[in-house]
Amino acid sequence: MSASNKLKNKYSWIVMGAVAIALLIFGGLRDSGPLTQQDRIDAITMRLACPTCQGESVYVSRASAAEAIRAEVARQVGSGLRTDDETIAYIEQRFGGQVLLVPRSSGVDSLVWALPIAALIAGVAALGIAFRKWRTTDDGAASAEDSALVDAALASKDLTGSGS
Amino acid sequence: MFAAGGVSSPLGRALLLVGIIGSLFGAIASISSARSRDQAVARLIPRFAILIFAAAVGAFATMEYAMITRDFSMAYVQKVGSTATPALYNFAAVWSALEGSILMWVLILAGYTLAVCFWLRKKMDDVLANWAMGVMFIVSTFFFLLSFGPANPFAKGAPGVFDGPGPNPLLQNHILVMFHPPLLYLGYVGVTVPFAFAIGALVTGRVGEGWLLATRRWTLFAWGFLTFGIILGSWWSYEVLGWSGVWAWDPVENASLLPWITATAYIHSVLVQERRGMLRVWNLSLLVSTFSLTILGTFLTRSGVLNSVHAFSESAIGPWLLVFFGIIVIVSIGLIGWRGDRLHAPGSIDSVVSREGAFLINNVLFAVFAFVVLLGTVFPLVIEALQSRNIVVGAPFFDQLVAPIGIALLTLMAIAPVLPWRKASAELLSTRLFWPAWCGVGALGISIVVGATGFMPLLTFALGGFASGSALRQVVLATRRQGLRGLVGRTNGGMIVHVGVILIAVALAASNSFTHSQELFLKTGTPAYFSGHSFELVKIVEEKTDRAISVKALISIDGGQAYAPAITKFTKVGMNIGTPSVKTGIRGDIYLTLEPPVKQDSGEAHIKVFIKPLLVWLWIGGFLMALGTLLAAFPGRRRKPTDATSALIGSNDE
Repeated sequence: MSASNKLKNKYSWIVMGAVAIALLIFGGLRDSGPLTQQDRIDAITMRLACPTCQGESVYVSRASAAEAIRAEVARQVGSGLRTDDETIAYIEQRFGGQVLLVPRSSGVDSLVWALPIAALIAGVAALGIAFRKWRTTDDGAASAEDSALVDAALASKDLTGSGS
Repeated sequence: MFAAGGVSSPLGRALLLVGIIGSLFGAIASISSARSRDQAVARLIPRFAILIFAAAVGAFATMEYAMITRDFSMAYVQKVGSTATPALYNFAAVWSALEGSILMWVLILAGYTLAVCFWLRKKMDDVLANWAMGVMFIVSTFFFLLSFGPANPFAKGAPGVFDGPGPNPLLQNHILVMFHPPLLYLGYVGVTVPFAFAIGALVTGRVGEGWLLATRRWTLFAWGFLTFGIILGSWWSYEVLGWSGVWAWDPVENASLLPWITATAYIHSVLVQERRGMLRVWNLSLLVSTFSLTILGTFLTRSGVLNSVHAFSESAIGPWLLVFFGIIVIVSIGLIGWRGDRLHAPGSIDSVVSREGAFLINNVLFAVFAFVVLLGTVFPLVIEALQSRNIVVGAPFFDQLVAPIGIALLTLMAIAPVLPWRKASAELLSTRLFWPAWCGVGALGISIVVGATGFMPLLTFALGGFASGSALRQVVLATRRQGLRGLVGRTNGGMIVHVGVILIAVALAASNSFTHSQELFLKTGTPAYFSGHSFELVKIVEEKTDRAISVKALISIDGGQAYAPAITKFTKVGMNIGTPSVKTGIRGDIYLTLEPPVKQDSGEAHIKVFIKPLLVWLWIGGFLMALGTLLAAFPGRRRKPTDATSALIGSNDE
């Protein structure tokens, strides 16, 4: 590749990156259009746990306890007085118990959030250590063990012959 | 019917006993021939494989016979059988509860044992092959025992029962129940094969040889079945459950996803071992994890432990699986530790920016992915055990953590396929990635033109375009060089799989982010409108069968064909099941559910409409993954892994 070609290539990458970032910012920030009331109910009930089913959200569950919470959420959204978060707080207070579908980020429960991040850091660190080790240990020279293997192999072959 | 009654139970148990004894003797024959090198003993191995397969087929057929003849003297038929179940669903009812599904596991495992034995028929003098067969037989012994003991499908039932409730209504509602469980089990049980060879390699110390690579195609088939089984499961969920979703992160789903994740990591990183002879311990660990996760997943979901820790002692199958899981983990770690010196491979990976470097990053991401899913699944158990407190780890947790991992994987899929082995220069990357990257920008532009919003979905679409550019670049270059042969072989087949994965990612991002829904109250003759479509109630019809009363609302969408969401009351179980109706389209689905109560003569129906953009591409992506797996398994021209590394490629083609 000639120098001018390389340069051209570099510029087109810069243009491409700029176009991509501009598009992402434009698309990411523009208004996503109106939500129906039902969309809001869905979004809220997806964050609430059905009290009688294991780990299912109110949105997914067809159990009667979930129906009751769904109806209450629909009433709250219909009245238009509370935001999504306020509705969830209200449901939590009204129905009690574990209504949130995600563990809290406090106490022992926060481990469920912290451990995956720790795992990622550990994984990346292990990879970094491995690469560092590879870089420092592999100097391309044969170890004594390698030489012994080669010597043994050579000794067992007749090297003066025509070979294969 | 009554003449046959009572025969199935003793016959089935006798066959399972034959299976136990056959597997046990098969294991003894395999291991003693490995130790003594006695060829007379080795020749017995195939006979035991045939014997246990025959026993498993016999036991399964006995169960089917009992189910088809409605032999209500058996407890299992009382539980899931019914005189009213249609023949097809009655056939599938055999695997609709715990005992029957373990029996299906036994059948598939015995099938794999026989298939591996046939594959090895000319290599029975090899110690490693003997050990692998030994492991297959030991695992078979365990599952025959499980089916004979704690998960006995052939137990006698209470006397005087002449009918039953039939399978769970959700399992007699859609044809996919015929296919999803068997395919998933073919994948689940299939990972036993590479595990058996991994243990064989460790025991014999021949860890550097091509055996593990020779079994790669077995792994690939198991992986393909697992993939397809999971996709069909999501499809079933979408078509039957009525909440318009495909994946709920429930423990049973997670249990099938976990081995899939580690198996996916393995089929990538094993390429580094094949090419460079490295990562032996890591690859063995991935195989062991995959197999042990299938056992752990079965334990978590089938023992009742996840419903409540306190139900643990009541479940007979739980302790068995837990002990077996423990043995697998301890033995495998012990063997890896014992062989540590031989597992150390020479050589080094020069640069992160290389094919092998990308595979390593892939493995870190998949390991974190598996960790997140496992943690989220067992965390409530840990908290309950430690603090006797119930907490829920639901879909939002998984969504939040898996989305960034998905983005990272898509980025890797965009760059990795163009990377050469060893190291890559910036110049090479710039040349090779140029057009794929423009594909990404193009995809982003198109998404914005058609109205997509939001940072995460747009990033997914852009990276999806980029990654498909890289995948298609490989396939286009290969077909240009080799014609149609450029579509087969693992690199090219793998790229087709990648395109399938990208379609799934795009479909999930679009349908999760841009679904809109609305409740509509319809009256006959008056159309209602939502999201640019009209919905008109044509009429309400009621259908009665022996087993159920079904009320359907015929709804014409945009004045065209009528779709019929229904509510079905299964009279014997006394359960109401809603059945959605879906208008599938290339640009998006319209998903209708009928909401109770419905009165036949009222001329009114209360429905819920979901508009799900691009959802059909999820299934297309799934089929593409299956197709790509087949193409990848198709032999390309390459060195046989058991040949010497220096052998010429294709020098002794079969």
